[in-house]
Amino acid sequence: MADRKQPRLPEAGQWPDRLVPAALGVGALLAVAGFLMAFLFAPPVNGASVNGVEVIGGQVVSNVLLLSQKIFYFHMPVAIVSFVALAFACYYSVRFLMTKNRRFDTCARIAMEVSLLFVVCTMITGDLWTRFEWGVWWTWDPRLTTYLILMLIIIAYFILRNAIDEPERRSVYAAVVSIVAFIDVPICFMVTRVIPSSIHPVVVREGGMSADMGITLAVCMVGLMLLGFALYRTRFRQVRLTERVEALKEQLEDRMSDVR
Amino acid sequence: MAEEARKAPAAPHADAGGDGRVDGASGRAGATGRAPAAGAAGTRQPVRLKKPSTWQQYKTLLGKDLTQEFRTKEMLTSMGIYALLVLVVYGATLAQSGGQVDILQMSGGLLWTLIVFTSLLGLNRSFSHEKEQGCLEGILLVPLDRSVVFLAKATSNLLFLLAVEVIAIPLFCFFFMTSVPLAESAPLALAPLVVGAVGVAGIGTLLSTITVNTRGKDVMLAVLFIPLVFPLLYACVSATTVVVVGVEGYLDAFVPAMALAAGYDVVMLLASWVLYDFVVSA
Repeated sequence: MADRKQPRLPEAGQWPDRLVPAALGVGALLAVAGFLMAFLFAPPVNGASVNGVEVIGGQVVSNVLLLSQKIFYFHMPVAIVSFVALAFACYYSVRFLMTKNRRFDTCARIAMEVSLLFVVCTMITGDLWTRFEWGVWWTWDPRLTTYLILMLIIIAYFILRNAIDEPERRSVYAAVVSIVAFIDVPICFMVTRVIPSSIHPVVVREGGMSADMGITLAVCMVGLMLLGFALYRTRFRQVRLTERVEALKEQLEDRMSDVR
Repeated sequence: MAEEARKAPAAPHADAGGDGRVDGASGRAGATGRAPAAGAAGTRQPVRLKKPSTWQQYKTLLGKDLTQEFRTKEMLTSMGIYALLVLVVYGATLAQSGGQVDILQMSGGLLWTLIVFTSLLGLNRSFSHEKEQGCLEGILLVPLDRSVVFLAKATSNLLFLLAVEVIAIPLFCFFFMTSVPLAESAPLALAPLVVGAVGVAGIGTLLSTITVNTRGKDVMLAVLFIPLVFPLLYACVSATTVVVVGVEGYLDAFVPAMALAAGYDVVMLLASWVLYDFVVSA
């Protein structure tokens, strides 16, 4: 009987969990290395290595040393990780609607949680940048606006999850909302290309970065990706184990009532 | 072919314009008005059950919403009064600024604020009827494609929204725009109004189906609806404003904004259409 019931339990601890400590360690190491490189290795954008006036990333840059630009090495990778997490949430939501397997619902929810964390980090780093680079706390720049509503949609996703009691219905509605929310990601990503008046430069495609900056950015990006992955798997493992305990408790109660 | 065969015996009973009603009657199995005709036809040949076409289902569902609205006039009155009240609030907020403020620049934004909040009110109501009176269960029992339910509901929401726009926009002009000269391009503002209403009705129908089953559904709809509709709102406000102000070369801003709005409409409507099956069956 135990063998028959075993597959119905939410399983936890598959092989990706074994990668988590390594990913966490390497990710933390790379993120710290990126942090140090941003200050020690990458040249200040308009510092000593720039002679006279130069255009970097579409902006005319004078000789003023702006350390606030350093936050870019975190701001952009964190934003990219949040997009990737949202993409995974959307993918898992589609998988959930296809299979109605609760596992995918949990995956989507946790990807959303990770993405909310990274979105908030992006907003904070972006806001620091806005304050010291542009001199305002907030501006209704198209990308800021689309990113803000992305954050609001993710928050709405969790509010919606809290507002529904039936687990089945909650999973389906949450999946639908996360798919619809993902439509905003390409808009947010492309908006600097569509509306050129945006203050966000198109950095990578137009080659606004020197090699040093690119390497620093890549190190940060890989580090934060690994951190995101480690966070996701750890949280997933925790939630799955909780679900497994609940399922085991229910089984045990059934068993006890059978015995009685 | 089956349709022709079935129509032929019914033709003596129905006048030339009555085809649609006969189809509708056979589609709804228990229609009382046509029972004698159906019985007379049945004496000559066995009752043939025909699945009504998708278009027929759509018309029936839409007709149900419109009939309910014509009988109760609940949505239109509440939305219309609400729109009027928002205009009154605008009157208070703009009273101190008098003629100093450039009302033309703000008119697009004000108008769209009015539309978004009024549509929120209407969308909240649109599914609470169905839920409270158990109508949705009835509809779901019928073996029809769920996207038809979505299209019918979205169309009725769109019609109500357009009706409210027809009332509210002249009132808006009457209250606030009489003192300022309208640009020649102002009639072009109809395009963003219609495109925006289509998008609002489409995404709003999906979301109101979701939120009708949640706790605190009124707030929940606003929480989901406003961020999701934001890109559309942004595009529509900019399109409306440039044509109302009518500066030189306004088409350079109008066309991309309309393209963005229309693209968003298409993507959102397709997504809602595909996802509606899951939502309404959950």
